[in-house]
Amino acid sequence: MTRLDALLAGLARERSTGALRLGRNGTIFLADGRVTYMEYAQTPNVERLLTARGRTTEAVLRGFREDGGCERLLAEGAVTAGELQYAVLGVVLDAALFLLPISGTRPKFRPGEQHWLGGQWFFDVPGLVRECERRRARLAEIWPYADVDALPVRPVAWLPGDGVTLSRVQWEVIVGADRKSTPLELAHQLGRSGYSVLLAVRRLAAAGLLDPPEAGHAAPAVMRPEPTEADEEPRAGQLPKRARHPYARPPHDPEAPAQPVGPPTTGDPADPALLLRLKKALEELP
Amino acid sequence: MLGIDTCLAEVMSIPGALDAMLVDHTSGMAVACSSTSVVDAERSAAALTEALRATTDGLARTCPGEVVRIDDMLVTTDKGHHLFRPLETVFEGPLVIYVHLDLERSNLALARHRLRSISSQLTT
Repeated sequence: MTRLDALLAGLARERSTGALRLGRNGTIFLADGRVTYMEYAQTPNVERLLTARGRTTEAVLRGFREDGGCERLLAEGAVTAGELQYAVLGVVLDAALFLLPISGTRPKFRPGEQHWLGGQWFFDVPGLVRECERRRARLAEIWPYADVDALPVRPVAWLPGDGVTLSRVQWEVIVGADRKSTPLELAHQLGRSGYSVLLAVRRLAAAGLLDPPEAGHAAPAVMRPEPTEADEEPRAGQLPKRARHPYARPPHDPEAPAQPVGPPTTGDPADPALLLRLKKALEELP
Repeated sequence: MLGIDTCLAEVMSIPGALDAMLVDHTSGMAVACSSTSVVDAERSAAALTEALRATTDGLARTCPGEVVRIDDMLVTTDKGHHLFRPLETVFEGPLVIYVHLDLERSNLALARHRLRSISSQLTT
């Protein structure tokens, strides 16, 4: 359990009400020990989702926030109660996926503070943590290399086959990809949740539809989800040159050469993944 | 105008409804689940999402050159009907209404009609 998880669990036990600020990363709002709203700086928030699809404008939303709040937003009919609940639900779970693994910022709790769109849906903390774990496992299941999450999305110029079926979000990602934007930047432009774009990007990577990352491109570590057993793969850019590129063939291709079993070999004594594994192994010694 | 919980209650009031669930299609997460349900909501939501995704993929390959838009999907087993209705929302989704209907006591035409009207109340 990370420190933030433990802190949240404590606030939930005490049935606290207020806002937990995580520096510039985001804020978690609680009411009576349950999470009502959560914002992460790099995933679209509810206001962004509403404006991205042309439902309303930022100026109108600002007006509601200052006067009338949620009730007026619903009364004026831009969204229905169900849609707003669904949007809050999606945004909170999306923010939680990226926010919960964050450590290093000192969280500040301000009792009593509430978000104007809070109170639409209530999440219990263990359920939230469980759902985030499920989502992370799902991502790793589709494509185990987390580096595509933080690198610019660069679709291949030529289709490595005759035809392909794209889902809606995959289509939007391909159309929106300018070869510079990272998945979360695309999510913001498209007004889609970060998770749905990550899913689409990882599916594209698994299908071999993305160019391999440029050599020497170091991925920023911030957006990388918590390393789990499944995706404790070092980022390609930080390793000494390897004989076989990890993107050589997708793992589900029956004719592909077998993926190396066991941890990847590396000659770098400062490889963080290796050090983490060593530390874990030492701790597990009886 | 319906909220998510009241929408589920409306779905359960369809004659012959045994179980109902609202599923977020993107993540395969159970958004809301009727209380009478004894199944593991989390797992069944993920599995039902895959079923719907597989159907979409299959149809996309069967009708090349067409954009597949599923209005509803019906699976009838020897025990009952399973009705899915993906609901376009402006944000994310679709949000899928799933209802399990009793084979003997339900009226499919009525159930589809009710689902249509519930979905029109849930979204604008």
